Amino acid sequence: MAVSFDEIELGDDLPVEQPDLSLEAVTRFTEGAEMRFPRFLDHEAARAEGLPGALVPGLMSQGLLLALLHRWSPGCVVRTIDTVFRGPLVVGTTAEVGGAVTDIDEDEGTVEVDLTIVDENGRTVVVGTAVVAPPA
Amino acid sequence: MTDVDVAAIRSDWAGTEFETATFEIDAGRLVDWAAACGETDPRFVDPDHPDFQAHPNFTACLGTGRMLPEDFPRFGDGFGIDGGKTVNVHGAVRPGDTLTGRASVHDVYDKTGRSGTMVFIIHRMDFVNDAGESVSTVDSKMIRRL
Repeated sequence: MAVSFDEIELGDDLPVEQPDLSLEAVTRFTEGAEMRFPRFLDHEAARAEGLPGALVPGLMSQGLLLALLHRWSPGCVVRTIDTVFRGPLVVGTTAEVGGAVTDIDEDEGTVEVDLTIVDENGRTVVVGTAVVAPPA
Repeated sequence: MTDVDVAAIRSDWAGTEFETATFEIDAGRLVDWAAACGETDPRFVDPDHPDFQAHPNFTACLGTGRMLPEDFPRFGDGFGIDGGKTVNVHGAVRPGDTLTGRASVHDVYDKTGRSGTMVFIIHRMDFVNDAGESVSTVDSKMIRRL
């Protein structure tokens, strides 16, 4: 599904996806980010810190939402992304990423998209908003 | 601890730039970051793509080592809670770029609710590329409970 600016309507839902939250994916992210901390890579070490298990880094959560936006509207340019981390997203679990169009700026050629990550227990662990310029 | 004068801290510190660092942008790191996030757009995962560039929030991992100035007032519960990140993209970051990042205290404010007073500290990183063009602004929100 390729979505251009003219095809987007207020209230449109983005396709819901299940991202890869495996230890392998998180390890690769921490290599790119140079954030090789045990709390992201080792369940036992994370539990010793009082966490429910190794955590998907917040910046990776934000990146999962960016990847969703790029698949929804190929060629789009993300101008701004703002995320709030409301709860832990644990490595090796499942989750759903999704979003909905909440505003359209005809003058700027941009749309505002509300974004969420919901964990396997149904808790919304990340909420966010992005301003995106889809291709014309 | 409830005698913290947040307005005075804001007046003294908001807008204060306290550290600068430079960062070399490496293609391998950009691919690892984007691919691990499930990115499939070749602009972000194929170094041979003519428009290859960093994932929009890549700059959020680049820091100077300090989140606050050395003499910033101490209060609340240590480092506090990560309240989230905002990334404003002004231009593409590409491999081979050398970015200069300037760290500042962007804002300090408080909110009081049923669970007490929370102080929000916004740490800002502004990045420019070799040509002096602004490419990214990253705001990190730290929350401390009083």
